[in-house]
Amino acid sequence: MAIQINGLSASRAGRLILHPTDLTLPVGGRIGLVGPSGSGKSTLCHALVDHLLAESIAVAHVPQSPDEALDPLRRLEFHWRQAERALGLSHDRERQRTLLAALGLDGRPLNVRPWEWSRGMQQRFVIALALLAPLELLILDEPTSALDPIIAAATLDLVDDHIANTDTTLLIVTHDLGLAATRAERLMVLSEGRIIEDAATEDLLSAPATAVTQSLVAHRNWAELPC
Amino acid sequence: MLNVNNLTVQLGGREIISSISLSVAPGKTLAVLGESGAGKSTLVGAILGLLRASSGQISWAGKPIERGKAALVMQEPRSAFNPRLPLRRSVLEPLYAGKLPDDPARLERLCKGLEIDPNMLDRLPYQVSIGQAQRAGVLRALIASPPLILFDEPLSALDAVTQKHTAKLISTLQQEEGFAALIVTHDMGYAAAHADSIAVLRSGHIEEMATAENFFRSPQSQYGQDLLNAAVSLGAIERAVI
Repeated sequence: MAIQINGLSASRAGRLILHPTDLTLPVGGRIGLVGPSGSGKSTLCHALVDHLLAESIAVAHVPQSPDEALDPLRRLEFHWRQAERALGLSHDRERQRTLLAALGLDGRPLNVRPWEWSRGMQQRFVIALALLAPLELLILDEPTSALDPIIAAATLDLVDDHIANTDTTLLIVTHDLGLAATRAERLMVLSEGRIIEDAATEDLLSAPATAVTQSLVAHRNWAELPC
Repeated sequence: MLNVNNLTVQLGGREIISSISLSVAPGKTLAVLGESGAGKSTLVGAILGLLRASSGQISWAGKPIERGKAALVMQEPRSAFNPRLPLRRSVLEPLYAGKLPDDPARLERLCKGLEIDPNMLDRLPYQVSIGQAQRAGVLRALIASPPLILFDEPLSALDAVTQKHTAKLISTLQQEEGFAALIVTHDMGYAAAHADSIAVLRSGHIEEMATAENFFRSPQSQYGQDLLNAAVSLGAIERAVI
């Protein structure tokens, strides 16, 4: 069983940003989508979300910055209720409590505006919203870039724990191969709107086939640099 | 040498940093690590003279830091430039501000070191890539030869490959130019690869101060240990090489 998409493509202003792409995302898999800035990662995410929603597949996309997801003028409680309504759920205090606790946000009142929380907490709140209903696919777009390392690692661990016993597939989108390699069992490399490699993480790291992937592997973490 | 001695800064009646002491020698790099809200940017603002110290001293070679003696490289390269001016105008601004003569040979040498095509400087900030804009930001910081450069998350807007390349160019130039660098960063990998010493800041206090080698081998504070574990878990550092 897998989420199967054929010929996914996207263009902007008449220019093809994502060339027709076939994707197979195994149920419960942990997949990394990596590529340099401008390779089309976010475009692929948006096209994927549109496509899956049209097919009535439960998908949630957590953007890079919580600012993109939260209205600064609305209280967090409003965002929560709005998400419940959008998903056709009635308000359930117990579910809210459990989910917020799973992301380390238990006991915090929601009658505040987003900016009254730290960015790390906002990001985790957005992830909690994404996890409100059972998901077939959770997309985390650059999940660590807005966060300090401790919060970033803890957040990814919390998400991992929460979806561990479900069928949710996780797609981590990042320019940082080091991050993807520690969190995904399979990696797809996007370059100039095309998936140029798709392999098990270990295989891709040990034998990158293309120049783009070789460069990503060579710059995978800092300590390997001859400094 | 930069000396910060018992620095305390209050903003709006709240103490943001409390009795911080640190120093950075010419040619050396100090990385200031710590969570958001720890007071890192306040420290940078105080050293630049943009924020007033409530108590304590900040000095370079024993004297207060004069205007133009410390330069700043900001986090968001494009918005750090006037969007309506060609990069060249902004890059040369420190020379105009300091009433210093143009030095085309130095500009050319720095461009070469930073892999900047001089023609690129005739474009507007939004007509170049983020990586190019950030290298122009470093060029602007260096142009008037300040002895101290402060970097506030200089690489976080760049992609993983560009980050490492830019860091290397900065490091090579530092060896040639000999400036002292204070780098505020979340990126433990960057600190591990390029810093000589580490200061871990938390809630306005210095939690730990050590040479980079000692810190990455065995952090002494619990918070430093947590930071290191997180960096490993995020793939920024490999445990084997620590």
